[in-house]
Amino acid sequence: MTVLAALAVRPHRQRPDVQQSLLLVRRGLRDSRTRIVTFGYLFAVYAYVQPVGYRHTYKTPLERAVFVHSFGDNPGLRLLYGLPRRLDTTAGYTAWRVGGVLAVAAAFFGLLAAVRATRAEEEAGRTEVVLSAPVSRTTATTALWSLIAAGTGVVWVAEFAGLLIARLPAGGAAALATSTAAVSVVFAAIGALGAQLAGTRRGAMAVGGAAVAAAFLLRILADTVSGAGWLGWLTPLGWAERLQPSTGFRPWVLVLPAAATAVLAAVAARWSRSRDIGAGLFPGRDWAEPHLALLRSPALLALRTQRGVLIAWLGATASFLAILGVVSHSLSSADVPDNVRRQLEKLGVGSIITPKGYMSFLFLIVVLVITLFAATQISGLRQDEIQHLETVLAGPIGRTAWLLQRLALTLLAAASLALTAGFAAWGGGVAAGIHLGLAGMLEAGANAIPITVLFLGPGVLAYGVAPRMAPGLTYVLIAVSFLWQLVGSLLSPPRWVLDLSPFAHLALVPTQRFQALSAAVMAGLGAVAAALAIAAFRRRDLIGD
Amino acid sequence: MDAIHAEGLSKRYGDTMALDDLRLSIPPGEVYGYLGPNGAGKTTTIRLLLGLHRPSAGTATLFGVDAWADPVAAHRRVAYVSGEPALWPALTAGETLEFLARLRGGADAPYRDELLERFDLDPRKKVRALSKGNRQKVQLVAALATRADLLILDEPTSGLDPLMEVEFRRCAVEAKRRGQTILLSSHILSEVEAVCDRVGILRRGRLVDEGSLDQLRHLHAQTVDVTFRGSAPELAALPGVHVEVTGASARRYLCSDGIGPLVDALAGHQVATLTSREPSLEEIFLHHYEDPAGTDDVAR
Repeated sequence: MTVLAALAVRPHRQRPDVQQSLLLVRRGLRDSRTRIVTFGYLFAVYAYVQPVGYRHTYKTPLERAVFVHSFGDNPGLRLLYGLPRRLDTTAGYTAWRVGGVLAVAAAFFGLLAAVRATRAEEEAGRTEVVLSAPVSRTTATTALWSLIAAGTGVVWVAEFAGLLIARLPAGGAAALATSTAAVSVVFAAIGALGAQLAGTRRGAMAVGGAAVAAAFLLRILADTVSGAGWLGWLTPLGWAERLQPSTGFRPWVLVLPAAATAVLAAVAARWSRSRDIGAGLFPGRDWAEPHLALLRSPALLALRTQRGVLIAWLGATASFLAILGVVSHSLSSADVPDNVRRQLEKLGVGSIITPKGYMSFLFLIVVLVITLFAATQISGLRQDEIQHLETVLAGPIGRTAWLLQRLALTLLAAASLALTAGFAAWGGGVAAGIHLGLAGMLEAGANAIPITVLFLGPGVLAYGVAPRMAPGLTYVLIAVSFLWQLVGSLLSPPRWVLDLSPFAHLALVPTQRFQALSAAVMAGLGAVAAALAIAAFRRRDLIGD
Repeated sequence: MDAIHAEGLSKRYGDTMALDDLRLSIPPGEVYGYLGPNGAGKTTTIRLLLGLHRPSAGTATLFGVDAWADPVAAHRRVAYVSGEPALWPALTAGETLEFLARLRGGADAPYRDELLERFDLDPRKKVRALSKGNRQKVQLVAALATRADLLILDEPTSGLDPLMEVEFRRCAVEAKRRGQTILLSSHILSEVEAVCDRVGILRRGRLVDEGSLDQLRHLHAQTVDVTFRGSAPELAALPGVHVEVTGASARRYLCSDGIGPLVDALAGHQVATLTSREPSLEEIFLHHYEDPAGTDDVAR
């Protein structure tokens, strides 16, 4: 009993509620350390890469002027990154590229932090255990916000450090990191509110995800439609832009995220004090008439339980790509003077200023998103194993059949997403009078499938060997491969170093031809890994939580 | 002041009346068995008592404190074991106990070590590697080690093996001797019988029966079936014996105070066969649970 003797409770001098909060925060940090460290790492690397890349690519004032001329007014890029300011300076460029992308990542970071610490814990029944101790709901709320503050602090430091190491002035770096962190905190408050409304983690994430989508859409409209700029004041992503970090910081804009967070958090805290633990304010139905569709096999049941999520993915992909298709019409090489275009072509980004070129570039991001969707399915396999795989496999179904069915479902879903993206982009283009070519756009979508198979392979292999680590490993593998390509293409290392990332072998369809050989190699490697995965899965124990 | 007091306590979830007008009064030092079939409202009652769910009507207090209004004060004297062990998979059993103890502001460490030994629990093992029964033991040790004045236990022995169940009973009896109050929600009748002073039976959200074990033992009427040679005699009224006519020469006697007086009275008669059996506590509860009309006799 020496273990416990060493841990024996000592009297504490702190106020009990402060001590309880600290205890809960430490617990929460321990649960979320992997997520926080991963986000911090990504923020640091991304923040470092942009200024370094800019200086490397656009060395002379002329090159920068060309860049500003061609990209500054480009709605397709405004849509992705936001309003550009002072793109002829490293600070301005960095604020644009880092601010735009990391703000969206920070939104998800805040959302996850809040929902995981609240609704997910409640769903697991642990909140009941905590609140049956002499712990008030106010203390739990204090702990939640301390936890969110700590997590946000870590990513703030990571982004700040990345920018600083890339030799950005400390003031600008701090302002930029602050604009990102502000988004994270607002969405944490939205997540905390969603956790009050929905009775499940998935429901709370759906509420929060819809809020991110709405915020992004408002930001897009504000930045691309003339006369709609005022909409930017209605979205946290717009506030991050309007802070103008590193190009004339306007700290007073921070009042907006601060006020929004305070109001949302106060409402969430109020609701959390007035409801039943374990239930949401939206009363979920506790009964339903039997629906017997999609119960024939475990894979169909998986489809049934995930259909809402799949429809959301498809809907979001279709609407986003359709908007991008419409916007692509504003890109026309005719607007670009010949000398500018030659300059751009020399820099290797020439094709981006045509609608097709823009689409080719965009579909890189579509590919990334679809591979990440595949990663969510690896995470789904793991969830199944925790929840009910034992029951399924105790029945007359083999492990090989189960895993193959699930992989087939994943592939089908990913392929539908890919083709939907191509079709929607084509449709958006047609609506705006631009003919991108249906075949070409479907090809651009289909181009995502082989690389998805490639990433699914190691993902499911990890699931076959080390299931607990599999979801994390898959996400990290995709993120590292993408960043590898991003960083690598800036630092011009030897070709073989670049070639290590699968993204380097991805043809820019529709500008470039679909490369059947590299596609076949990618799909083949993925299939081999999947075969190994099945062999490993057949040999291992089922592992619960 | 009652350790647990509920007045008109009701809870409605949507269309379902989970708890209907509960009146409960448990004085300090009493061990109260809270019985009912699945879905009767036992867990709902406990959540309302602890202020985890908000009553639709009525009030509940623990040592005079309303746990919804002031959970911190109410919980200070309470330890709770939930029916489903919801713990932190990445912590070891020892770390879990430490975390829960600190959350409460302290626990009796030597007693906790003793309990770990008695429940045969390895504190170094991670919770995710523990079976359901062992997780339940972690919860039990955590609650017992606080030496709280009131233990609220929701099916605490679900998943425990018989040996551990015996150990739990011992701990409950010790707690009672020390003057701790226990609310024991269960449907293991032998467990309730072994440790409880008083029992309440819940059915479809209503308390249908309540009484001390002695009172309930009234229901332990021994059933004696007798057939006589020739027609059955009319015995003089015997205290504690209820007669049912089961045939021309057959009678059923329900004896609540033993069968001695009946045997004495039968001595002079022509008895052909005599069978005697004692209905188990189980049968009494089954009688309550199965009553289709829901018109159970209310407390005597």
